[in-house]
Amino acid sequence: MRNKILTVDDSKTVRIIVRKAFKSFDCEILEAANGVEGLAIAAKEMPDLILLDVTMPVMDGVEMLTKIKSDPQLKGIPIMMLTAEGGKDNVLKVAKIGVRDYIVKPFKEDVLIEKAGRIIELKPLTDSKGKARSIFDPATLLVVEDKPAIVQQIQEGLKTSPWKVHGVNSQAEALDFCAKTPPDLIMISLSLPEEAAFALFRLIRTNVKTKYTPVFGLVVKTETGAQQQAQTVGFTTVITKPIDISELESKVAKAMNLDTSQRYFTIESGVLVMRVPENCSTSVTAEISTYLKPKLSEAVDAGHNKAVIDVHQLRSLHMGVIKLLMQAMQTCRELGVHFALVGNTHIIAECKGFEDTRTWAFFDTLEDAKASLTKVPAPAMASAGS
Amino acid sequence: MPATQEISENLIRENISRAISEVFQTMLGRKADLCVLTDQTNCWPPIPVDGQSNISQIVGTVGFLGDANGLIYLYLDVPFARIATGQMLGMTEQEIDEAGDEVINDAIGELTNMTVGSFKNGLSDAGFPCKLTIPTILRGSNFSIEPIAEVQRYIYKFQSAGQSIVTDILIKLGD
Repeated sequence: MRNKILTVDDSKTVRIIVRKAFKSFDCEILEAANGVEGLAIAAKEMPDLILLDVTMPVMDGVEMLTKIKSDPQLKGIPIMMLTAEGGKDNVLKVAKIGVRDYIVKPFKEDVLIEKAGRIIELKPLTDSKGKARSIFDPATLLVVEDKPAIVQQIQEGLKTSPWKVHGVNSQAEALDFCAKTPPDLIMISLSLPEEAAFALFRLIRTNVKTKYTPVFGLVVKTETGAQQQAQTVGFTTVITKPIDISELESKVAKAMNLDTSQRYFTIESGVLVMRVPENCSTSVTAEISTYLKPKLSEAVDAGHNKAVIDVHQLRSLHMGVIKLLMQAMQTCRELGVHFALVGNTHIIAECKGFEDTRTWAFFDTLEDAKASLTKVPAPAMASAGS
Repeated sequence: MPATQEISENLIRENISRAISEVFQTMLGRKADLCVLTDQTNCWPPIPVDGQSNISQIVGTVGFLGDANGLIYLYLDVPFARIATGQMLGMTEQEIDEAGDEVINDAIGELTNMTVGSFKNGLSDAGFPCKLTIPTILRGSNFSIEPIAEVQRYIYKFQSAGQSIVTDILIKLGD
């Protein structure tokens, strides 16, 4: 459930700044302009945190605080003062009534977030939204590695992606980077001196801005002790060196909860094209399989009832791919989608060798397959793979 | 309890300089430095002294009451007030236009509240505990604010990247 934060301040400016400060977190901001409004909203909404000013018309913050603390239903709500009323005597007086923290204006939004994050769970908005970001969206990846060749390898390997890879070589530089630009994902070499990777991991997890950021460990395959330690403390995953870039890319996409469906499914001139890539590993077939039904349903819903299943890039056939293609054809039949297959000579020859696949009819090019869908009667196409 | 007469000009200058610098740096990311004035009554803007300028001004006012009693006026010209509002709220010029003068008034009121709060917190910690009043805003040009007798007046001018800020501090004498 989303956290509710009630800001009670007669200044609209402060309420706008509070709203702005929390906009990237999954929480609801409630507003009140004085103590009377604040009490009414607190009783109705039961917020998880109240940010309270002192000097306000109608009812000031000290009176509202006193009333909340004497109300059995409301007294458990944590309150953080956010006020220009500082001075030792004022702070002590208010602290005695019972507040969780005290921020004296002027204040930095970062400080407000950090202090609020110590009281309530602040989850970044992207973590809780149902709609995932796409594989084609830009993202910032931070690599904390003291070996420049590794950073370079990752940068080179991911250069065709929209992700920007930044390399730093120490814990201090990493923290500095995170403070300025919280990255979307962090990779840390587990072989940094003096177990710095684990100390850095702890600091990343205590910072509200990076608390939920995926963190990968980078380590050589034989360092099993470090791999186990990383898994125990909660690293998202461990990438072994030498780095397999396609594995890294796939894990990064998964960790960032990216929608990768556009890699495999596109709509071209009213036809849904499903592309099976050159290397179709178990994880790739599983990924395509997950998207299959939703993407076909989406296409039908949008008025497209033709599909091309394109395997011409595929290097070799294996049971995982055969099952995937059978599933794709079956789903097309269930949804009433006319389909055609595109293959290369090697795959077509391999298909002839299996009982289940020998009757499959392929076109040599995508254009031929698309053209066939406009010419060949639907029942004949639907039986192509049966 | 110390009497207000004991508040030295030095304490006032130090506190207002610290307050302005802290508030403008924290909320707007701008440096603001105290200018050395040879003649306080002829500094520009403010209008409070000569009442001759036609430049539109926004003046925020917040008072403090307690062992020290007084008022602080914070003068900004309208173009700078718009810039300050945009920086404080992360709004574009167009968004400020759409939001209207109310958002500028509120932002300058809050900027004044923070400045006077920081100033009076310094006085409180120096042995003059006091509380803030609610901010008010005055807009216009070619006007002057005249203090009544029995009030000590201190005017300071600050520069922030080519923009002027003037504080007019009135402190009531006596206990």
